[in-house]
Amino acid sequence: MNSQKTSIRDVLYEPPGPRTQKIITAITAVSLVALAALLAAVIRLFYINGQLDAKYWTLFTRFTTWRFIGQGLMGTLRAAAGAGVITFALGMAMMLCRISRYRLARAAGTALVEFTRGVPTLLFIYFFFLIVPQLGFTLSAYWKITLPVAISASGVVAEVLRSGVNAVPRGQSEAALSLGMRERSVFFKIVFPQAFRYVIPSMISELVIVLKDTTFAYVVTYADLMQNAKALISNYDALLSVYLVVAVIYILINYILNRISTALSERGKQR
Amino acid sequence: MSVGTLLSQYGDKYLLALLTTWRLTFFAFLIAFAVGVIITVIRICPIRPLRLFGDFYVQIFRNIPGAALLILLVYAFPYIGLLWSYYTCVLIACSLIPSAFCSEYLMAGMNTIQVGQIEAARSLGMTFFQLVKNLVLPQALRTSVLQLTNLLVGTMLTTALASQVPMSSTDLTGIVSYINTHAVGGITAFAISAVLYCATALVIGCVGSWIDKKVRILR
Amino acid sequence: MQNEKTTVIQAQETPVIELKHVKKYFGDLYVLKDVSLSVKKGEVVVIIGPSGSGKSTLCRTINRLETVDEGEVLIEGKPLPQEGKQLARVRSQIGMVFQSYNLFSHKTILDNVTVGPTDVLHKSKKEARQEALELLKRVGVEDQADKVPAQLSGGQQQRVAIARSLAMHPKAILFDEPTSALDPELIGEVLAVMSELARENMTMVVVTHEMNFARKVADRIIFMDEGRILEENTPEEFFDYPKTQRAKDFLNSIQHHE
Repeated sequence: MNSQKTSIRDVLYEPPGPRTQKIITAITAVSLVALAALLAAVIRLFYINGQLDAKYWTLFTRFTTWRFIGQGLMGTLRAAAGAGVITFALGMAMMLCRISRYRLARAAGTALVEFTRGVPTLLFIYFFFLIVPQLGFTLSAYWKITLPVAISASGVVAEVLRSGVNAVPRGQSEAALSLGMRERSVFFKIVFPQAFRYVIPSMISELVIVLKDTTFAYVVTYADLMQNAKALISNYDALLSVYLVVAVIYILINYILNRISTALSERGKQR
Repeated sequence: MSVGTLLSQYGDKYLLALLTTWRLTFFAFLIAFAVGVIITVIRICPIRPLRLFGDFYVQIFRNIPGAALLILLVYAFPYIGLLWSYYTCVLIACSLIPSAFCSEYLMAGMNTIQVGQIEAARSLGMTFFQLVKNLVLPQALRTSVLQLTNLLVGTMLTTALASQVPMSSTDLTGIVSYINTHAVGGITAFAISAVLYCATALVIGCVGSWIDKKVRILR
Repeated sequence: MQNEKTTVIQAQETPVIELKHVKKYFGDLYVLKDVSLSVKKGEVVVIIGPSGSGKSTLCRTINRLETVDEGEVLIEGKPLPQEGKQLARVRSQIGMVFQSYNLFSHKTILDNVTVGPTDVLHKSKKEARQEALELLKRVGVEDQADKVPAQLSGGQQQRVAIARSLAMHPKAILFDEPTSALDPELIGEVLAVMSELARENMTMVVVTHEMNFARKVADRIIFMDEGRILEENTPEEFFDYPKTQRAKDFLNSIQHHE
């Protein structure tokens, strides 16, 4: 009763009595019909607008289509991976500022965290797309998308890392200090590795946000999944089907990443 | 361009943009919260198909990128006869995505309720609705104040999607691109928008933690 | 404790709580094996036994926090309703005190005691408040009325939980290991309140490991092991002359422990 993991779903309702059971069965039947009707209505909407025609969907039976989607996906993943690495480095730096013993560094860290958390990714993208070139820097499309996406996520990453550091028991660093280790090496050899293990699930969730933000790559015309989808659409004149498939691909990737994150965090709790 | 000249030229446009962002944020959050509550009720009801539908809904809108959803609404849905105004499309996209997160936060809030307290309420003779009113709702809402505050800020950030469609009134992100394509606003145009966003987020954050301090449940 | 005359009268009354051939499974686990029990008005029945013997489950079937798979639970001669308002009504007449207190953590101590009377019994706020303050005084925590549960010690919380039950004017109170979660020095104050209730002829079913309490306060001891009632006797008979080997072993292990 005390430690077992139960969801509110399992305890909010008691085991039903005979009358309640009848009601539940009845509503279940009705809801099945309603959901089926909803699905039918959607399919009908596609059908009467001609969107179920073979010409919109046969392109997905071709190898070239999938190769092209795959190339776009690689672009997306490259951007997400690059942004992920940068955001981790930036987040790490901000976190170190926030836990620093110098007040100025702490203030700077806090300001940066609040700033990056309070500004939309798109605004950062416009900064790199419109304003950085005005300042005389030329960046490739890759950096125009990865840098703003990375900056935008870095504040949250810093806070996640900091919560991990705070979760490491104080006794750990005290024990290491009493062994004569220097403060810096205590942090990087004892405290941080443990902290990082705590926050791996949250880091994966953060990667989902980064990956989602890379869909704005079309603003800077970087060839990601979205951008390649546009090319497919003009080739085959099949807008709805292509965008739907692309959306499903994004949802699936993020869903899988989120599942990994939950699985890891549950395994972490068990220990 | 200096802040002064920029503001004298575009000041009223900035004010309108700020109000547009605020208005979008406000309505999107209201819809997101209402839908989030409804989806949460569906997810915890004892009707299995409805539960699965609720879970499905949350997974879809948690995981779809905002840009992908907006593009579907604006460019793809007209092909199945659903033609909505740009504002409606933006509002829908900015409400549905946070609604999924809202439901996740409410579920997490409810999962902090101790089973024993539910049993205690039952053994006092409370009916299901009395149990919800006296225990489930107050505890779930009071534990999710900070999460809902973050959700409000998140909703504000999502409304930057409005800059991706030609709306009659530009938002705080759109105006930066507007100024920079009409004149060279440079870093100042960006800075003004960024400061306005941050200030809004800070105010929301402060109010949120003030409420949280008031209603937090000691455990 | 009772003279013969009252015993005779009570024997003719319908028992407050009656279990007839109750069977209960948790999946493949057979936890209650044909258990029958009846509790008369004003009686204090103490259920003891090793952990996992089904005594808590038995206690929880009485107000349907656990359902039964076979057999019957009767409250004042009527079958325990299975759902809805009828079940809620019967539950409101049977108090329950839990091992982990289970006070509502977002409500003040006072509100914890008044919520039942106002929301379930529809009493006026004023009346409920007044009575709640008296009850809190009776269990000795009247000066904590405006605090929240987390600010109180375990012993104080459990006494509030008893007051919360009493505020419903129950026909019986179930105690499910009320002192098992308490620090040793806090157990006494809770047992004192319970003894007081027993003296006032409250009908009580108590699941406990406190043998001294059982010996002093119980009218009847139920000894359970592996889902069955093995012995049912007066405390004197049970503690001094246990009949089954299981009960002897159990009492030995407890005494070594204390």
